[in-house]
Amino acid sequence: MKRKGKITVTITIGLSCLALSIIMFMQFKLVNETDITSIENMREEELRTELGNWKEMYEEANTQYEEKNQTLQEYKEKAESDTETSALVNQELERVNLLLGKTNVEGEGIVITLQDTTTDSEGNILSITNDNLNIIVNELKLAGAEAISINDERIINMSDIFMINDNTIMLVNGQRILTPYIIKAIGDQTYLESTLVGKGGSIDELTKQGFDIKVEKSNKITIKKYNKDINSKYMQ
Amino acid sequence: MVLIAILIGCILGAIIGTNAPIISYTYSSYLAIAIIAALDSVFGGISSVIKKNFDLKIFISGFFGNAILAILLTILGQKLNVDIYLAAIVVFVWRMFTNLGIIRRYYVEKWTDKLKAIKKNRNKTNENNENVS
Repeated sequence: MKRKGKITVTITIGLSCLALSIIMFMQFKLVNETDITSIENMREEELRTELGNWKEMYEEANTQYEEKNQTLQEYKEKAESDTETSALVNQELERVNLLLGKTNVEGEGIVITLQDTTTDSEGNILSITNDNLNIIVNELKLAGAEAISINDERIINMSDIFMINDNTIMLVNGQRILTPYIIKAIGDQTYLESTLVGKGGSIDELTKQGFDIKVEKSNKITIKKYNKDINSKYMQ
Repeated sequence: MVLIAILIGCILGAIIGTNAPIISYTYSSYLAIAIIAALDSVFGGISSVIKKNFDLKIFISGFFGNAILAILLTILGQKLNVDIYLAAIVVFVWRMFTNLGIIRRYYVEKWTDKLKAIKKNRNKTNENNENVS
C-alpha cells in the first residue's frame, strides 16, 4: 500500500514537472523569438487597440473626405454652370454694346471727307449744313451701314446733328466739330458708295454744287465708341 | 525516487517544449504567470512529500487551480489596467521560498544526521580498534 502510494506520488510529480517544463520551454522559445525591443515594450494588446483606434479614425477621415469630395464636386458643377451662364451673359452684353455703339468697331466700309465751304459760280459762299449731314447719315443708314461716325463722334440711335449760332457751329452728339467733316461708315462698300455717289445721291448733289468731297473705300475702318454715358431718366 | 521522476519529467518536457509550435505573443504573459503557479505547485508537492502529508487530489487541484486562477487574475488586471499579476507572482514566489526552505532544511538535517552517524560509527570502530589493540 505504501509502495503503491509512493509510485503514484512519483508519477504525479513527474508528470507535473513534465507539463511545467513543456510550457516553460515553450515560453523560453517564444521570448527568444519575439523581438521585444522593436515594439518598444508595448504589449500586443495595446498595439491592437491602438491599431483599432487608428483604423476607426482612418475610416472616419475617409468618409469625411468622401463627403467633402462630393460637396466639392457639386460646387464645381455649380461653378461650371455659373461660368457658362456668365459667359453667355457676357457674350450677350458684348453684342448689345456692339449694337449700341459702346465699343470700338472695325470693318470694311467707306470714308467720306467733306470740305466745309465752297464758292459757286455766282460767287456765293456755300457751306455744309446739318441737313446735308443728316441726309448723308440717313442715306448711309439706308444703304445698310452698321456703324457711322462724324469726326469720331459716333452716331447712335439718339445722336443729334445740329447747327447753332446762326448756322456757324456744327454739333454732333452735343459736341462741336470742325471742318473737314470726316464721315466713316462700316457696311457693304459698294452699296454705301453707290447709294451716295450714284445719281440722285446726296454726295452727287453736293458735288454738283461744287463741294470738295472725297469718298474712299477701305477694308479696315476703325470707328470709335460713343464716349458718353447712355442714361435714361424718364424711360421705364 | 522523486528526484529521478523530476529529472526525467524535466528532460522530456524540455525536448517536447522545444519542438512544440510557437504560440502567439499575446498569451505570453498568461503563460508566464501559469508557469510560476505550476512551479509553486511542484515545490509545494515536493515539500508535502517530504512532510509525508502528500494528497494527490490537493496536489492536482492546486496545480491546475492555481494556474487558472493566476491567468484569470492577469486577464482581470489587463481589463482593469492594474498589474494584478504582480501580486500573484509575489505570493507564488513567497510560497516557493517557503517550500524550498522546508525541503532544504529536511535534506540538510538528513545530511547532518548522516554525518553524525558516520562520525559516531568511526569513533565506535576506533574505540573498538583501540580496545582490540
